[in-house]
Amino acid sequence: MRVLARVHDAELSRNLAAAATQLGADLMVLGSDSPNAEPEERLRAGLRTHPDVLFVESGDTDLQMLRDETRARGIALVVACPPGDAWECGDGAVAEEWLFLPGTPGEIAERIRSARERLRRSTHPRVTSQMAEHLRYEELLYDRFTGFPTLPVMLERGREILERTGRLTVLYVEFVRYSKLEEIYGWEKLDEVLQTTAEAAREFYGQQREGAESHLMVSHTGDDDFIFFTDLQEPVEEAEQRINELANELEQHVANRLEEEHGEDVAGLFGIYVGSTTLFRNPKIRTERMIYRGIREAAYAARSVEHRERSRKVADLKTALREEAVYIVYHPIVVTETREIYGYEALARGTYRGLRSPEVLFGVAEEANLIWELSRLCRKRAIEGLDTNLLPHQLLFLNIDPHDFRDPTFRYLDLDELGVEHPERIVLEITERTAITDYPTFQGYLDDFRSRGFRFAVDDAGSGYAGLGSIANLSPDFIKLDISLISSIDTNFMKQNLVETMVQFANDNGIQVIAEGVEREEEYETVKRLGVHLTQGFFFHRPQREGVAND
Amino acid sequence: MSDKQTILVVDDNRDNVEILRAFLESRGYTVASAPDGRTALAQMEQVRPALVLLDVMMPGMDGWQVCRTIKNHPDHAGTKVVMVTAKGGFEDKFEGLRSGADDYVVKPVDFKELEQKVQRNLAAREGKA
Repeated sequence: MRVLARVHDAELSRNLAAAATQLGADLMVLGSDSPNAEPEERLRAGLRTHPDVLFVESGDTDLQMLRDETRARGIALVVACPPGDAWECGDGAVAEEWLFLPGTPGEIAERIRSARERLRRSTHPRVTSQMAEHLRYEELLYDRFTGFPTLPVMLERGREILERTGRLTVLYVEFVRYSKLEEIYGWEKLDEVLQTTAEAAREFYGQQREGAESHLMVSHTGDDDFIFFTDLQEPVEEAEQRINELANELEQHVANRLEEEHGEDVAGLFGIYVGSTTLFRNPKIRTERMIYRGIREAAYAARSVEHRERSRKVADLKTALREEAVYIVYHPIVVTETREIYGYEALARGTYRGLRSPEVLFGVAEEANLIWELSRLCRKRAIEGLDTNLLPHQLLFLNIDPHDFRDPTFRYLDLDELGVEHPERIVLEITERTAITDYPTFQGYLDDFRSRGFRFAVDDAGSGYAGLGSIANLSPDFIKLDISLISSIDTNFMKQNLVETMVQFANDNGIQVIAEGVEREEEYETVKRLGVHLTQGFFFHRPQREGVAND
Repeated sequence: MSDKQTILVVDDNRDNVEILRAFLESRGYTVASAPDGRTALAQMEQVRPALVLLDVMMPGMDGWQVCRTIKNHPDHAGTKVVMVTAKGGFEDKFEGLRSGADDYVVKPVDFKELEQKVQRNLAAREGKA
């Protein structure tokens, strides 16, 4: 036990020392003998060392302030007061224990013990918020989500390794999302995926630690990356080899677990890249700074691995574009009431394995400045299939990025070139992958298309503020509610309120609402009750290679 | 819903508190109240409400912050939180979704709607308990 005390009375000071001896406690006394430092500042500094008990004299300081400070840190407070000062003594809300001066060593020890006990048992009704704050501080040291130590703890341990062995290897695991998973599968899914990666990292950590003489530890950066520290025992020249093996094993392990848990589609949206660096003790440089630098270097190395991987994907994409290696799957949209197929959303898929997921496909195209070429190819493919895959009354929903309107071949297209015979059967789904900055100009583009008979849908409405802002601006024919609003809507009243408001807004403006991502019967029943006009999701259909017209 | 459940009404406007208290008590609930967020949080431990009716616009800690604190608290995360606000727009509802609130009523409060929303949240809570 550690007791921090500030006492001025000499007798009290002696008795306190005796009490500390009885308790076997470490006593730190801040006397009035140090005129150099601010007394309050010294007291605060003392509190930051997290003693178990603070012992002060009443009248010496602002007790309310002290109470807040000690409660927030979980320190028991004992206040000694002169007998005449009894009016405020005994108030359990201020201090855990009170002591009337002069106290004997035995009495002081007893008060200290009982103050600790009381603090341990107490659930102070007035301090829930401070307790919560205290919890938050603790969470800063150990990530609540993954249970891994956070950077401050890691730095401390890294310093130990470096000082003990003279060497520290840092592995940086970069976890790359090729698109916003939340927008496609809802944020719950992202949480699940992060959980899986954390578990995979933890498993890997466990496997490596078993029977190994070297230490390995892992931390989770505020984002979704991981840092491993290890003190490899191998000689330096062999260590390089071992580090590469470790990095590869780690990459493989996380990737495999992701695919097992969430399937190829989801796993395809992520890339895991490991970079490493080894630090050697250098007495001229502050250890902490070296470790920071090591983490940066390892992160940089991970990023260059990622860049190489990206360049390979870009090369694949160029080949795919040349060979027209994309195909279309059709995802049915049904009338909520009757469950009849109202139309199909055309979704592009890459034929190459690494480019199969549309998010990766478009992500790579965007970075490589090939987005227009890819979009043209996908549109062409989707429209080609219109007559063979759709019944004459069914609509084709085509995904369009706001950028596509700047593509002259789309913007000024004649319909023949696009292959569109019936623009009224086509709904352009505006996805806000890229934010629309210039609404008046954009509005002009839309009006041109509208006048030729095309209709519009706002895609992913409710995935963020942007989606909502554009609804009013674009005056669409359809609003597609984002999957994050629909997932578990049956048990979430907030989501129900939102969708209800959205349907009201739509009805007032002659718009139809489409619920995306309906996966369960309960979700379907809920959107039906709320009056959502159209429904899309795995509950009815998965995306299919061909539409009903071919059945 | 065997015994009387407690609802904690948090609003800086005394009149609002009293109106809500009168209504909720007439429906058989026990009502506690707090004039601001900090007091409300301090009372959580003692009152242990089944549901918190939380005004959004309050001086000091606003309703969203209070809601987040409750929903993040290990002992109180299961408490239902229904937000009360003058703004009925999408943005506010989104804020509600993000802060983890369970439901939402718009001022001026329609008592029928309020009762229905209180009931459905308490029922959902019972269902999980």
